[in-house]
Amino acid sequence: MSYYFAIVGTQDNLLFEHEFGTSKQGGDGQPRFSEQARHMNQFIVHSSLDIVEEVQWGGGQMYLKCVDKFFNNYVSCFVTGGNVKFLLLHQPTTPVPTASTRSSTSIGANPTSPQTEEAIKNFMLEVYENWVKTIMSPFYRVNMEVSSPVFRQRVAAAGRKYL
Amino acid sequence: MQVYSFYIFDRHTECIYSKSWFTPPPPASSSLTSPSTSRPQSQQPAPHASSVTSPPVASLVVAPPSAAALKRSKQKKDDDAKLIFGTVFSLRNMVRKLGGEDDAFIAYRTGQYKLHYYETPTNLRFALLTEPGALSMRNVLHQIYINLWVEYVVKNPLSPVEHKGGEGVRNEMFEMGLDKFIRGLM
Amino acid sequence: MSANKAARVGEEIWKGRIDKVNAELVTLTYGTIVAQLCKDFEADYVEVNKQLDRMGYNIGLRLIEDYLAKSNTMRRCSNFRETADMIAKVGFKIFLNITPTVTNWTSDSKQFSLVFEENPLADFVELPDDGRAQDELWYSNIFCGVLRGALEMVQMQVEAHFISDVLRGNDTTEMRVSLIRYIDDELPPEDD
Repeated sequence: MSYYFAIVGTQDNLLFEHEFGTSKQGGDGQPRFSEQARHMNQFIVHSSLDIVEEVQWGGGQMYLKCVDKFFNNYVSCFVTGGNVKFLLLHQPTTPVPTASTRSSTSIGANPTSPQTEEAIKNFMLEVYENWVKTIMSPFYRVNMEVSSPVFRQRVAAAGRKYL
Repeated sequence: MQVYSFYIFDRHTECIYSKSWFTPPPPASSSLTSPSTSRPQSQQPAPHASSVTSPPVASLVVAPPSAAALKRSKQKKDDDAKLIFGTVFSLRNMVRKLGGEDDAFIAYRTGQYKLHYYETPTNLRFALLTEPGALSMRNVLHQIYINLWVEYVVKNPLSPVEHKGGEGVRNEMFEMGLDKFIRGLM
Repeated sequence: MSANKAARVGEEIWKGRIDKVNAELVTLTYGTIVAQLCKDFEADYVEVNKQLDRMGYNIGLRLIEDYLAKSNTMRRCSNFRETADMIAKVGFKIFLNITPTVTNWTSDSKQFSLVFEENPLADFVELPDDGRAQDELWYSNIFCGVLRGALEMVQMQVEAHFISDVLRGNDTTEMRVSLIRYIDDELPPEDD
């Protein structure tokens, strides 16, 4: 499984992006996007924003689970109180067989299983906590790109921990 | 117990506040003091500094005292304050010389009055004149410092740090608090 | 007063006599001030340090009175070492609930360091990465001014400056305080 994580500001502007791979089931934490997919990731994530805006007012939840799917790419979303969107694109190494009778429960293999949703939720919550700390810095202004190496480290750590 | 008057001196030895409760009757011509030239009395505390310049209603019906009389009474007040400071400052220095740096001058008494003295480490000096038989007022002065001075003068962000000419000390909360506190002792 | 006793006094006052305020309110308020100064002076960090020091100085001039009132201090410290302990264990304790370590005394007892293990002003802070802030801005410089102002009121002229800060990537946050002289009592002017 490869992940592309993006934070999008209130003006649909990109604030932060980070690529990583799974660390579960012996994963080495490295993303396995092809060069072509890498270019596509931003587009896929941004195109899912329309759907996010539709569902974000629905349930009053911050974690919107998996909101969009584009071929073998799944996009999960978390909206902060300040309307900043955390978007996580996850791409299983092998396409999920749609006709499978018994869906696999491992995080890596099935992007829509409850286990995966739970893991992503934990990841999002941890990123959210660190996000709040980061934007509390007096030198941070709204919708400013986050360049803090500390924040990047913490996102990476959350990825290793849960995904 | 009678309290006669109260003085505060700052670290630059200037008298930044004084107040009398029982004073000998002043000359008839200056029975009404205008707040624009003398410190407001307890019956008519200035709500804030700017009101000091506006004449009180009373002065519209009574002829204002002659400028010379006012000048004389202010002059006398200033002289009193200077004399008191000179006295307590000398006594304090003498006490320290004789009793060591940690010794403190607390009070002295004459046949007519007793002067109580309190000094903070920031060299703010308080002097209180009472009747001769009064008990120690050291604690009273300390309370005035921590409960009135610090709370209402120091913590007022709009009041200046240095109170040249008493600026910032003459605020309503401080004056009212002080008057109430002292009257409570009498 | 011994260092241990000072620590007890500080603890006691903190528990009994201090109105508490939300720490994040303090952190964010101070942060806003620093950020605004950086903006107003167009990232001239040397000037920002100066402004922070000056603000602190004005706070110190007043804060000392509150310190004396709250701590019921009636007498002066007998030496500069005692002063240092009172600053760290009573002053910082009652106003910020922290107790910096007093250390690195010079042999003439006129210079010491305050090492801050925690610093409520600097929570969440990351200095701007413009390549200069890390070398020029002393984020908590207001502390230096506070000490300078407060000690001046009790007749000690001191010089205080930071020599390291964890925000800059140093291992510790350390402030150096030096006693320049004791200020004499002012005398009343001679009558003409």
